[in-house]
Amino acid sequence: MSAELFIDWVSLASLVLLALALLLSLARIIIGPTLSDRVLALDLLTVVAMGFIGAIAVRTGLTLYLDIAIALALLGFLATVALARYILLRAQRGENA
Amino acid sequence: MNAAFLVVILALLWAGTTGSFSGLNLLFGGVIGGVAVLLLRQSLANSVHLRRARQALSLLGLFLYELMASAVRVALVVLRPDMNKVIQPAIVAVPLSAKSDVQITMLANLITLTPGTLSVDLSPDRSVLYVHALTMGDRDAMIADIKNGFEKKVLEVFE
Amino acid sequence: MLHSLALYVGGIVLLAGSLFVLMAAIGVLRLPDLYTRMHAASKAGAVGGGLILLAVAVLGQDAAIAVRAVIGIVFLLLTTPLSAHLLARASYLAGYKPGSETVADDIAINAEQNSANK
Repeated sequence: MSAELFIDWVSLASLVLLALALLLSLARIIIGPTLSDRVLALDLLTVVAMGFIGAIAVRTGLTLYLDIAIALALLGFLATVALARYILLRAQRGENA
Repeated sequence: MNAAFLVVILALLWAGTTGSFSGLNLLFGGVIGGVAVLLLRQSLANSVHLRRARQALSLLGLFLYELMASAVRVALVVLRPDMNKVIQPAIVAVPLSAKSDVQITMLANLITLTPGTLSVDLSPDRSVLYVHALTMGDRDAMIADIKNGFEKKVLEVFE
Repeated sequence: MLHSLALYVGGIVLLAGSLFVLMAAIGVLRLPDLYTRMHAASKAGAVGGGLILLAVAVLGQDAAIAVRAVIGIVFLLLTTPLSAHLLARASYLAGYKPGSETVADDIAINAEQNSANK
């Protein structure tokens, strides 16, 4: 098997695995049960999306996608930080009320 | 041995910054690095910075190894059909010797990415780090592991 | 020869990364409580994402791309534990207690001692 064909198959297999991961974390987002669980699953979802972008970058050879993956990682991190703060604030407000 | 190592690092840095890893460029970087090391031989001989850099590298190596090991372990635990019997979650208080912000931050981050542990909270007086363990075997062994492994190295690098 | 070797290595790394991400997702779905799920998401997730970026670096065969991918990996390894720690802390303070499987909870013990001392 030539190296190019190998890459073709491997990136396809990676996309399938990542799609499974996407579905599983989506299931966790739906069943919850708490807000923290959903935030955690969303955080994982960003990593999965990063993986998708990486695999597609490999498949198409367009490494420009890499910048998008890095930006997405930043976005996911900021979102998680903001949501963690929200969880904390909501709990404090709940105690005061 | 030390100087050779330094030259290799410098050559790789040169190739990285000039953006080409061709053999000729690497060789050129190596030559420049060699000259630089030769010129700075005296001040490099027992420099604090060099020792610090070596300690940082050794910390990085340990970290990368532990990271891979932890990911494999979590993956293996997750795949077991009798998962709920294997895991033994616990929150353990680990006393800290690290004092400064940088040290505590580094240590907490490293703990999170190493086998079976995740830092949850720092006590208000910053003397105790609460660590969540996925599969706790022996509490004292785990605390000793953190204190002798990562904390010692972190303290060495970030004095 | 060297070129196709790099392709094979990169392909295997890519596959390993995807596998780790899948493990993380399985862990997030299967593990019993929030804190144990965090182990799966932060460790396997970070390693999986890092490996995929590493694969792009190897397969890109270009120093500029490799440097960007390495920056991405460093960034991922720095932020993932941070967000996991923040989320764990916020959840604990918000009152999400660890599941019933948990053997010990030193925070609760220390909090009780502190309130007893006051």
